[in-house]
Amino acid sequence: MSKKITNNIRRLRFNNDEMTQQMLADVVGVSRQTIVAIEKDKYSPSLEVAFKIAEFFQEPLDTVFQYK
Amino acid sequence: MVMSYKERSIWVSLAITIYIWFNYFSTIYHSIQSQNLTISIMQSALLSVVIMTVVLEILHHIVIAIIDNKNANYDEDERDKKIALLGANNAYYILSFTTIVAVVHLLFPFMSHHIEALINLPNEYVIINIIIIGALIAEISKFATQVFYYRKGF
Repeated sequence: MSKKITNNIRRLRFNNDEMTQQMLADVVGVSRQTIVAIEKDKYSPSLEVAFKIAEFFQEPLDTVFQYK
Repeated sequence: MVMSYKERSIWVSLAITIYIWFNYFSTIYHSIQSQNLTISIMQSALLSVVIMTVVLEILHHIVIAIIDNKNANYDEDERDKKIALLGANNAYYILSFTTIVAVVHLLFPFMSHHIEALINLPNEYVIINIIIIGALIAEISKFATQVFYYRKGF
């Protein structure tokens, strides 16, 4: 079975005062639909966006994104 | 259904493209049927395509900007750019194939004699329409690829 990139962004948003997808999108500089696609594992972001998301939540990259 | 400004815009462009070129080919088809296809009919049909494309695309952007005014100044993000690239890639393959077909048709006319006999058109009209059909299929393929990846993800 092939591996894929998954993430915990939805949970992290929830734990971060129930932050909206639009707020996160504005912080990392993408559209809300891109955040939706990332959360649903329909799109793997670039390293730059992945690091921006991890940095915003103050979590290591491999806590936010997993390759399994 | 969550649809970004960009995706909505692509759907409308796809519909406009199909509508305009359907009009063009129905004009050409009726002219062939009545055996009065001339270069001036093709010129006026192509001019109509250009004018309709410009007018409808302007209208489309105005209407979408009014409906979704919050995102009217939306700038493409990395996902939009990747999807646009996938669409352009498919369009490129089709345009390359069209170029080969047009060149083969010009260099080896005996291979396509039966096509000319079938549609009863002079060679220059056939070549012009091969290029137009190829460009149209490339354009539709570009939009279709983009909406496919917006829906399915990648």
